[in-house]
Amino acid sequence: MLSEQFKKDRPYLERKFKTQICNPATGLDNETLKSNLIRLTEELNGEPHELIKAKAFRYVCENLVIDVNPQDFFVCFGCWNRYDRPLSFLMSKWEDEVNKNCLKELKTLEEQNASGSSKMWKDFDHSVPDWEAVLSLGFPGLLERVKTYRRKCEADGKMGLDEKAYYEGLEITYAAILKMLDRFHLYALEHSDGNQRVKAVAACLDSLRKGAPSNIFEALQLIYLFFIFGEHIDRFQVRSLGNLDRMLYPYFQHDIAEGRYTEKEIRDFFAYFMMQWASIDNYWGHPFYFGGSKANGETEINDLSYLILDVYDQLDIPTPKLQIKIAANTPVKFIDKALDMIRRGHSSIVFLSENAIRRALLGQGCTEEEARTCVISGCYEFIPQGRGNGTCAGHINMLKPIELLFHNGRDPKTGISCGIKTGELSEFKTFDEFYKAYIQQLEHIIESVLKCANDFEKYLHRINPAQVYSGTIENSLKTAKDAFHNGSVYNISGILNAGFANAVDALMVIKDFVFEKHEVNLAEFRDILQANWQGHEKLRLKILNSKNKFGNGIESVDSFAEGLALFLANKINMRPNSRNGFFAASMHSARQFIELGEKTGASPDGRLAGEEISKNASPVMGMDKNGVTALIKSVTKIDSALFPGDFPLDVMMHPATVQGNEGLNAMRSLLKTYMDKHGIAIHFNIFDANVLLDAQKHPEKYEGLQVRVCGWNVRFNDIAKREQDEYIKRALSIKE
Amino acid sequence: MSTEGIVFEIKRFAVHDGPGIRTTLFLKGCPLRCLWCHNPESISPHPQLAYYAHKCINCGECVSVCPEHAHAISLEKLHYFERRKCRSCGKCETACLGNALQLYGMRMTVQETLNAALEDRDFFGDDGGVTLSGGEPLLQADFCFEILTALKRQAIHTALDTCGQVKWKTMSMILNCTDIFLFDFKAANPQKHHKLTGSDNRQILENLQKLSDAGAEIEIRMPLIPALNDSDEDIHEAGKILSNLHIKSIKILPYHNMARSKYDALGMANKIPASSSQDNVNSLHAVEILRNYGLEIN
Repeated sequence: MLSEQFKKDRPYLERKFKTQICNPATGLDNETLKSNLIRLTEELNGEPHELIKAKAFRYVCENLVIDVNPQDFFVCFGCWNRYDRPLSFLMSKWEDEVNKNCLKELKTLEEQNASGSSKMWKDFDHSVPDWEAVLSLGFPGLLERVKTYRRKCEADGKMGLDEKAYYEGLEITYAAILKMLDRFHLYALEHSDGNQRVKAVAACLDSLRKGAPSNIFEALQLIYLFFIFGEHIDRFQVRSLGNLDRMLYPYFQHDIAEGRYTEKEIRDFFAYFMMQWASIDNYWGHPFYFGGSKANGETEINDLSYLILDVYDQLDIPTPKLQIKIAANTPVKFIDKALDMIRRGHSSIVFLSENAIRRALLGQGCTEEEARTCVISGCYEFIPQGRGNGTCAGHINMLKPIELLFHNGRDPKTGISCGIKTGELSEFKTFDEFYKAYIQQLEHIIESVLKCANDFEKYLHRINPAQVYSGTIENSLKTAKDAFHNGSVYNISGILNAGFANAVDALMVIKDFVFEKHEVNLAEFRDILQANWQGHEKLRLKILNSKNKFGNGIESVDSFAEGLALFLANKINMRPNSRNGFFAASMHSARQFIELGEKTGASPDGRLAGEEISKNASPVMGMDKNGVTALIKSVTKIDSALFPGDFPLDVMMHPATVQGNEGLNAMRSLLKTYMDKHGIAIHFNIFDANVLLDAQKHPEKYEGLQVRVCGWNVRFNDIAKREQDEYIKRALSIKE
Repeated sequence: MSTEGIVFEIKRFAVHDGPGIRTTLFLKGCPLRCLWCHNPESISPHPQLAYYAHKCINCGECVSVCPEHAHAISLEKLHYFERRKCRSCGKCETACLGNALQLYGMRMTVQETLNAALEDRDFFGDDGGVTLSGGEPLLQADFCFEILTALKRQAIHTALDTCGQVKWKTMSMILNCTDIFLFDFKAANPQKHHKLTGSDNRQILENLQKLSDAGAEIEIRMPLIPALNDSDEDIHEAGKILSNLHIKSIKILPYHNMARSKYDALGMANKIPASSSQDNVNSLHAVEILRNYGLEIN
């Protein structure tokens, strides 16, 4: 149970990151801080970006307003608003400079993005520090390690200007962090007013400014501090709070054995800890993860896993979000607890298969050990701990090539010629010829995306040097290269896609209706799509009712889909990127299933212009008419190892299906079968159309109602009506 | 394998029809006429066309394909369906753009049925398998026998969902190839049983006793229908009979009346009772009574 004190403090915690609540006497107001930062960085113009950013970072640490509040266990930073972070201006400025002065492919990039063929941006949202290093060294230890590597570089005679800027930037940054801990410590001492909790926070800060954490409270405070320094000040999303149950278990055991904290107190720490992210309320959610296997083959699930899961259950919050690495050794009891939470609507949980991840990572040249201990980051991405960094460099619209093909390489809505000329429609005499042209258009998009990504990813470290993050990555320190740019062992650029299932369905429709049944010819089809099906509703319904759709376990369709997936993966995986690494194909769509959908006209599969396109490895909404088993069969026909970026599946079921013990057992069996068939990630939406419809009418009755989007949860009330309608449409097609 | 049966639904990922993840085959035809029947499409042994008026978009496709001219659309865009003309050929179902027409009952060979039933074999795991349900599946006894035998030869777990109203010889024939019987129990009292289902329960109780004596695994399924079979007396009588048998467990099926639209679609009159929020409370009370007889309730 959550403590009474926590319940009293919860309103404060919910407000903490939604409004400025720090003591104004402790520093500058945000507007002054920002204008001073602009002046400071202008004065430094001409210095390496690493130094300018580090000095700006230091200025923030010295001048930001702060608080240590008796209603919280965690300190409060003045930069509470993640949309308005103090160093954002610097990143925007340097991005503009790079766009203007350095990029050779900017026009292609802008055209691709405008036409919706793909979506690319410079991704600074997927960094995971080496949490082992953070916890074992603490901030002082991390700084010492930077200095050691700097001396080594000097001794080896390798210290050039770039190296010097790199190390100096890190030293300034970490020294500033320590200085800010001093500020927090002093403030807590001076303002405790006899309050036991503030005193405890002061003691915790005192310990952290001197070294590594020695108990679970200090470890949690350190994770939180690192997160704010990294994400809110240094402006890199920290896309995983780490393998919390495994990392923190030794502290937990020690604290309980020593009698330092009771289990009840530790539950409280976790409740306050998780509320920090609930309050930040990042739309995409902030992940932490559980599970996996030890080197000896035993499960990593321990008493602390159950404790944290239970606290998380009781908080009923969509973020932080939880990823669970499942292996054959994962206890059934633990899986059942998580599945039960999901069917009760506490569903911000995704399951990942340790074995399927292993296959994918070994295929990228990782070792067994790197695969076993990999970090789960972002929504479901996985990367070797402390040795890998993966960006999301671009998203490919799998449906766009069809639109381009109908208009000989030109996007009809924007008029942009972003495709290639594949010929007039009358020239396609067979489906194979049509498909060949689709592949040519697709390949053109893939090549454009890789070319653009290689162009702009060369400058990631110029736009936003990753100093807080690099300080934790040993390979970066060894090589004096930015860990987010090219200083990791695995510098991977993910290429995601959306609309895969739409593309399969649309191509099947062309095959059946144009080339086999001759119900409509290509020129007519082009005009029908241009008219957004107006006047052709019968044909549209016939197409929507036709059987050959991905996700129904139909052998011919699934084999076709597999072929398309093979091509996509083969054109992306292991191709060199511009960061001393390589590209990795991903079946993840993030939010692009909505955004690229908006930029895509009506499609042959019966979809209307602007509607959502399919996400992840999942079928087109409502087109999987043979149920969840057929769906899993279709999806796992594709070898997930071909998508080392990640391979997630969305499953939607009616609450009646999963009720009772039988329902829980069925969910578990489904999970197991998906993973036996090498599916990587799977998550569930359990909902009833009637509930969603009622929630749309009476939002006040459903304040806690969550739906899973695509690797993150949102409150149903918080999404646009159009998005709500898509969920309702989908829910209506689920059979009990 | 060429024996044919009439199947009206193949439900994959069935999780409430026996242990584990199952595929349930629903066979047409039933000897009982339960007042509350929620599968009215299962009663007749013949294929039947259902017309869901609320889904009709008046596209007229059915009119053009029906060889019997059973469908018509008026100038006012109203759909008329003359059921007596319908030969249940299913052509209009395929053509219908609004999914308003549905043919319940397809003729399938044993081999075709097995192929469909085993699509999800990978999901059955250790405890799941195939369930035959209905209607009363044993009205198509040879068809059931061949399917169940073929499944057992492939070591697939089999379940039979039965109302019990068949000759004992019919049931004994499939005893060896059925792993679990999901046996309906609607009323203990013969007169009451007759009133509720159109038949007394003499044969049913005899079959149940014999299955129990033979050591078959039996799960009893008790639909609780408000005011019809859910009085304390009803439950006590059931408890007395069941506690003298070897029953693995009992499953109480709370009542719902969501089948009304199906009756309309099939052109059948329905006498199904209304449900109330009290039903769930009544189920819990029944569970309590049965537990006192030492029975295991799911």
